[in-house]
Amino acid sequence: MKQFNLNFWNIFTSFIALTFSVPIILVFLSLFFGFNDNFDHIVNVVLLEYSLNSLLLVVGVSLIVLFIGVISALLVTTFRFTGSKILEWALILPLAIPPYLLAYVMTEMFEYSGSANSIFRSLNLISEDAALPTIRSLSGAIIVFGIALYPYVYLITRVALMNISKPILESARVLGSNNFKSFTKIVLPLIRPAIFAGLALVCMETLSDFGAVQHFAIPTFTTGIFRTWLGMYDLITAMQLASILLLVICLMIFLERKQRANAEYSLSNDSREDSDLIQLKGIKNFLASFFCLVPVLAGFIIPLSEIISWSVEITNIFSIKFIYASLNTMLLAITAGIITTMLAILFNFNLRISKSKHSKLINDFISMGYGVPGLILAIGITQCLTYFDLILSDIGIIVTGSLFGLIFAYVIKSYALTNNVLESNYKQFSTSIDESARILGASKYTLLGNIHIPLLKTGIFTSVLLVVSEVVKELPATLILRPFNFDTLAVTVYTYASEERIYEAAFPALFIILIGLIPIYFISNMIRSSKGLN
Amino acid sequence: MIYTTMKSLKFLIKILFFSLIVVGCSPVEEVNVYTSRHYDVDDILYAEFTKKTGIKVNIISGSGGALMERLKAEGQNSPGDVFFTVDAGNLANFQKAGFLQPIESENIKNIIPVELRGPNNEWVAIAKRARVIFYNPESVAEDEIKNISYEDLSSETWKGRIVVRSSSNMYNQSLVASLISNLGIKDTEIWANEFVNNFARTPQGNDRSQLMAVANGLADIAIANTYYVGIMLAGKGGEEQRKAAQKLKIAFPNQDNRGTHVNISGGGILKYSPNKKNAEMFLEFLLSEEAQTHIVNNSFEYPVINTIAPHPIIAKFGDFKMDKTSVADFGTYNPEAVKLMDRAGWK
Repeated sequence: MKQFNLNFWNIFTSFIALTFSVPIILVFLSLFFGFNDNFDHIVNVVLLEYSLNSLLLVVGVSLIVLFIGVISALLVTTFRFTGSKILEWALILPLAIPPYLLAYVMTEMFEYSGSANSIFRSLNLISEDAALPTIRSLSGAIIVFGIALYPYVYLITRVALMNISKPILESARVLGSNNFKSFTKIVLPLIRPAIFAGLALVCMETLSDFGAVQHFAIPTFTTGIFRTWLGMYDLITAMQLASILLLVICLMIFLERKQRANAEYSLSNDSREDSDLIQLKGIKNFLASFFCLVPVLAGFIIPLSEIISWSVEITNIFSIKFIYASLNTMLLAITAGIITTMLAILFNFNLRISKSKHSKLINDFISMGYGVPGLILAIGITQCLTYFDLILSDIGIIVTGSLFGLIFAYVIKSYALTNNVLESNYKQFSTSIDESARILGASKYTLLGNIHIPLLKTGIFTSVLLVVSEVVKELPATLILRPFNFDTLAVTVYTYASEERIYEAAFPALFIILIGLIPIYFISNMIRSSKGLN
Repeated sequence: MIYTTMKSLKFLIKILFFSLIVVGCSPVEEVNVYTSRHYDVDDILYAEFTKKTGIKVNIISGSGGALMERLKAEGQNSPGDVFFTVDAGNLANFQKAGFLQPIESENIKNIIPVELRGPNNEWVAIAKRARVIFYNPESVAEDEIKNISYEDLSSETWKGRIVVRSSSNMYNQSLVASLISNLGIKDTEIWANEFVNNFARTPQGNDRSQLMAVANGLADIAIANTYYVGIMLAGKGGEEQRKAAQKLKIAFPNQDNRGTHVNISGGGILKYSPNKKNAEMFLEFLLSEEAQTHIVNNSFEYPVINTIAPHPIIAKFGDFKMDKTSVADFGTYNPEAVKLMDRAGWK
């Protein structure tokens, strides 16, 4: 019986892994179709520029997110200063605004007659007919991605900092380390894996972004893929270009995994208390508040006010289209959230019970889906569904252009999120519970249904929410895979932006932000309540 | 917990299947439109069509390339009836790939001139837009702009004075494709190299931001589509944009020879259309006086039937000679145009 179960699991997990990888393998297969003139053209003329821009973008964004993310995490976990209690969670808020949306907002603000220029002119900081530099440039894109994505580094670094136990720091001090030395010698090595984990997320998001770089017209890998596909009418070459990008992303995931080794983060081991925080005074107090306030202003409060100011300009606020788009978005997001979470529960349960290397490998493999750019994923899935429908061609078109493809894309893309949450949730209760239950005669299914699931409640809830916020923001895959008469909020915003009627995007944009805020609220609550546990 | 999760999942699966059925099955009368033109004003038009005929209009919008992949995937089972797009190159491309069938309607053939239809009536233009030059009369002398052609824009006199959007934009790709069709690749490439040298800034922003740049003195001339200035002058982009647009003057290039480059919005009937009659009715409706008036007044494009005048704002620009370069050429030369612009360093 036990043997059978094991086999069943292995077959099941392998099947899932295979299903997940088919779209990606299809993209890679393009490399074997031979390279045509268009590929030569790309290699000879634009590849260097695409690579250089993508590289500069990633390096620039990394520097910004490290600077903002790490320092602000250090400040709020070490000191107490004016507003630090609020800033502690407010620093996560920019996560609710996806980079493409921030790009649209910033573009409007820095247009000649945009609000940024108007404010600077009215304050006499620049003369009446002068203007600030426009944001549509490589450096502008670096700033936009930097302030949209630093919360990833901030969040993970902060949790890691909270996990460093007080005794370690105290021993260091007893042994004669000063603050700076104990930071570089003890704290930094401890939080390094966390910083890199956050950084890897940021780099993947930056490399796979399509909306923002397209809006800024910066020649990067993703804009190149689109240009090849839609301008040269050459999907194969576009897929070959995508394969190169995907290889880079795989390498990045591999490096991050390697340096992380066995470092683990969970929210539970905080041994520090609020009283341990050092109260800052005078200029230091001001500087700390200022440093943490700027990213919140730039990444959340200012863009939000700008969008609200657009909504004043439009007349028809709640169109029927907007209501449908909201309903569609929620339907998709919740469905994808539940499916992905169930999959993650099954995999993690299996891992816990069987401890098989095979399952661990598969679990790691399908987590890589997070790094696959939505655009590439969509191309792969379209191909995949085509073959599927060809097999079923007698019955008619079943899966192409159905919600199936779209949900499939979301599940692949967000599996890593749910997996991370459930993995750390599972680590919080000991396996001795399982043993006791098994001794008392509980079957695997009773163990999962009656014992694990109630214990994993918070994890399940969080992971569904995380997927929801991811799906609500997703743009490139949705654009390509959606069915008839089916717009989502992100698609609506994109459509208005590309039609140059950005003001009308105000309400869908506000809604995206609102939905994005929900998981942020719960996550910051969880971090806070975990502090109170000890 | 697992019970409630399962229950809600079951419910969701039911909803999913229901929506699949709604999407997949044909109620009495409908027409399925694959479109890469998704203006809000068109929705009103579709609703009007449904009101008149009782035929429901289903829309799937996306880029031309994505729709083509989808049609390939669907093959003979495709539910698609009509393909509708703003890019002439795409239209020609679809026709060449054999996705379209000839339109049989005599009515359409009678009212639409030959050059606005496919070689075998595979598609028909629904609206026109000209890609013209806008200039700031304060910084551009009358004799500089008089009788200007696209070819002239490569001349030394325009150094650092031109703004235009990115070469990823399909309107620019079609324009360069039309130049290739008329001048040949070699001469177009020489032209493009010099033209790019005349840019006042790295291409950025959309057509409207090029117009704003000229109005604000950042450059002297901009290349943009006619309807953008219509939208701005009508005040649909706010007071700021209306004032800016009032500072600009328009020049129609190549009036001495082949005429100004015109791109079209157009549609055709898909090869495996299950609702062919409805598709034909749909296209006929879009070409009716009523629909054309609606398009002209809301999207500020030029009409394709001669019984309707352009919007007064657009009509004020005056008549002009239109380049009759075959739209099919836009599709043929589009890939070449993209590569040529890459080589010329047009970002």
